Amino acid sequence: MTFHRLKVAFHRLGSPPTFFRLTRLLPPWLWAGFAVTALIGLYLALYVVPPDYQQGDSFRILYIHVPAAWQALLSYVIMAVLAAIALVWRIRSVEIMAMACAPVGAALTALCLATGSLWGKPMWGTWWAWDARLTSMLVLLFLYLGIMGLYAAFEDRRKGARVACILVLVGLVNIPIIHFSVEWWTTLHQGSTIRFFGESRMHSSMLPPLVLMTIAIKLMFGAAMLNRAGNDLLDQDRRKKWVSRYLGGKP
Amino acid sequence: MIPQFNYAFYIWSSYGLFAAIMVWQFLQPRIQRRKILAELREQEALKSGGYHDTGA
Repeated sequence: MTFHRLKVAFHRLGSPPTFFRLTRLLPPWLWAGFAVTALIGLYLALYVVPPDYQQGDSFRILYIHVPAAWQALLSYVIMAVLAAIALVWRIRSVEIMAMACAPVGAALTALCLATGSLWGKPMWGTWWAWDARLTSMLVLLFLYLGIMGLYAAFEDRRKGARVACILVLVGLVNIPIIHFSVEWWTTLHQGSTIRFFGESRMHSSMLPPLVLMTIAIKLMFGAAMLNRAGNDLLDQDRRKKWVSRYLGGKP
Repeated sequence: MIPQFNYAFYIWSSYGLFAAIMVWQFLQPRIQRRKILAELREQEALKSGGYHDTGA
């Protein structure tokens, strides 16, 4: 019974007006959640957490850098799952969501690279090094930009999305490379400090702002992605009746 | 108690970048949506014959 309900709900999402309503309904809540968690997270990160015994206050960059890096990778995985569903079942709303992941993921990758560079200068003495983690992360940024470019290059948006979805799946190979780069190669970048399995190498007093900032960035990703997906759907369906009804105030 | 935030340029730049990117992620879809809606309303007005070009 529950499975049947889920199946019906999933099929309903394929209907453009229903999906559009979802893109209008969810983002305000996600943005509100982002604002609350980010404000508390920033307060803890900048004011409550003590300085690191080795890095001093510079370690506070971690509260931006690490959540951005995690979400940049997760955004790509989400985009790849959506791209696979879009290619197999040809569900347009899923296709649109996959394509809406790319600009947000690109922004987070750029944020991760920029904050990494700003952290690298005082800690490593250099803004940039061609080491495995940094280079594979740069490749991720180029992948995101490539996907956005490819999608925008086609006049037929659906054809563009299909081609871009194939590139998304090809680029998925870069995700394990990024994750394991610090183990497979000798890199300037440090190994994992936070472990989901096993004991973390970070003091527990430093964890709460990291958890909050991670949640905040995830909520932001959801909100921004749905905002973009709603716009894309509206733009693609500009000649459809449901858009006229929506413009007339009848959603 | 007033917090003392005497942090270095590197730290403020990172948090500043974070703020700028979050604001952009919030604003950009809204700007884009406004543009699309304006185009769609113009299109609807043209279709229904109620379009008045104020610049003419």
